[in-house]
Amino acid sequence: MRRWLSAQGRQGVIGAVAIFAVLFLVNVYLKGGHFSPFDLRTLCMNVLPLVCVSLGQYFVVLVNGIDLSLGPVMSVAGSVAAITFGWSTPLAIVLALGVGLVAGLINAVLVASLRLPPILATLATMSVFQGVALVLLPSPGGEVPGELTATLTQGGWDLLPVPLLLLLAVTLVTGWVMSTPFGLNLRAIGGDMLAARSSGVRVQFVSFGAYIIAAVLAALGGLYLAIATASGSPTIGDSFILLSIAAVVLGGVSIGGGKGAPLGVVMGALILAIIGRLLYFAELSSFYQSLINGLILIGVVGIESGRRLLVGVWSERNR
Amino acid sequence: MSESAVFPSLRRRFWRPVILAPLTILFCLVVLVIIGSFLAAGFATPANLLTLVSLSAYLGIAAIGETIVMLTGGIDLSIAWTITASSIVFTGVTQGDPSRLWLGLIAALGTALAAGLVNGIGVAKLRISPIVMTLGMNNVMQGFTLIYSQGTPSGTATEAIKTIATGWVGPIPIIVLVWFAFAVVVSIGLHATRGGRYLYSVGESPTVSNLSGINNDRVLILAYTLCGLSAGITGVLFTGFSTMSYLGMGDQFVLPAIAAVVLGGTSIFGGRGSYVGTLIAAIFLTILTTVLSIVNIAIGYRSIIYGLVIIAAILLYRVYARDEE
Repeated sequence: MRRWLSAQGRQGVIGAVAIFAVLFLVNVYLKGGHFSPFDLRTLCMNVLPLVCVSLGQYFVVLVNGIDLSLGPVMSVAGSVAAITFGWSTPLAIVLALGVGLVAGLINAVLVASLRLPPILATLATMSVFQGVALVLLPSPGGEVPGELTATLTQGGWDLLPVPLLLLLAVTLVTGWVMSTPFGLNLRAIGGDMLAARSSGVRVQFVSFGAYIIAAVLAALGGLYLAIATASGSPTIGDSFILLSIAAVVLGGVSIGGGKGAPLGVVMGALILAIIGRLLYFAELSSFYQSLINGLILIGVVGIESGRRLLVGVWSERNR
Repeated sequence: MSESAVFPSLRRRFWRPVILAPLTILFCLVVLVIIGSFLAAGFATPANLLTLVSLSAYLGIAAIGETIVMLTGGIDLSIAWTITASSIVFTGVTQGDPSRLWLGLIAALGTALAAGLVNGIGVAKLRISPIVMTLGMNNVMQGFTLIYSQGTPSGTATEAIKTIATGWVGPIPIIVLVWFAFAVVVSIGLHATRGGRYLYSVGESPTVSNLSGINNDRVLILAYTLCGLSAGITGVLFTGFSTMSYLGMGDQFVLPAIAAVVLGGTSIFGGRGSYVGTLIAAIFLTILTTVLSIVNIAIGYRSIIYGLVIIAAILLYRVYARDEE
């Protein structure tokens, strides 16, 4: 247990948990000191799409990349699902996740095989996927079976609602992936690609996998978003482009690659989700949301690098 | 002895993409204009082409800062809301009153400069990755703009700014003259001053430039501050074009600005590129959008084509640069 905890600390998870805990307590206090099962359900429902896409972003950031196309992948997956739910529910789910697979494959080929700079390649595919979503579903709409929406949003028990179950499932599965040799290889590539290569990691293959997993997770988030809102929207994913990166960074994952744990990313997403609710209960205008998101993002990274700089100066002086 | 005297062939290879990329885009531009002239009568007339160039000016000016920042190996994603913020501050302060023009300019450009300065300090001193820093700053500027305007921007552009944006001097739009004047200043600054050489050197290798006595941090801070300034100028001028300010008006500039820099042959890793390339690419992208809307292609397909053009360009430019590896 202690070893597990210290590992989480090294990965920057504890800081994220602490920030979330403080914000959560303030939230409960502002609501008059109670947190109902309804609140739990709503929080999980709101945060689940962001958790999925942020965990996807996490895989890419781990291998020293970045994926700006994950938001639009959500839009495409949600739109495809909303269009095809009318034919058959399983087919729609398969097709939506298939969208993620294809999109991830395209990104992976561009970045891992053709070695284009990730930020440029995914900026280009971002534009392409935004276009595809608009071509498929020019305006928000489509249909989602009512019982599916009801089960995935209102199902489950008071203390264990379905959204929370899904949240736990996604977190546990990514945590498991990170504990496999594949996960170790991911970290190795992000830490030092040359060292990883010379110790026998198949760098191209592993980065390829990272981009595919990322897009499939984003598609999963887009699918849930479409089900929860009972419709598809061709632009719904755009705001997740920045939010997913913010959640990853808030979760203690370094953009330089190699470091960070899935639990931290989930916390990062929860922090962003709870800020929105805090502003609402504090009766502050939602205008403050983006300002505070930005300040927290810069603040967390700035404090972390400031600390590293100070430690650097300090250890140099004592050499 | 200069480096080019020692390794003439190396030097030439290094610069090859910087020269070939703008030529490629220029070629595509000519092809596009020919296609356009078949699609719409009067497309290739000088007056129409000058109008198209004047429409490219806003993108071109926004891309000045992006070129400078990308030459250092960074990227600035905050220009979206910096443009919007400076525009909304400008109309908010002037309220269309010509006597408050200078006050408005100072407030608008000051806002943009401050955003750029903070970006620079974050990237250089706190060593925050440019993507994260400028993403965060974009959110901060968005919040600032929303709070400042309470969600409903007020005021209009002053007449002077409207004239600059839409007026003509004889046969040439004023905004084109302004843009080309900026282009000359920026190109001289990049290629013929010490500051410009420092910029390239920081982008090419921070370690080497640091060891040769360049204050990397100062160069980086200057680069991001200039990027903020160019976003601010874009915001004010674009206010003149649209006669008012509105929320989200800067969003349309980010992706095209980065695309213009890359298409113009500037390396995303820094140290290599030119503003001339960016300028040609900005005109190309604007005319591409126009041609696509002439043939009435749905906005979704336009977005797809845009992305494919960027991918094609980076793949092609890699061929140009291949020999040096």
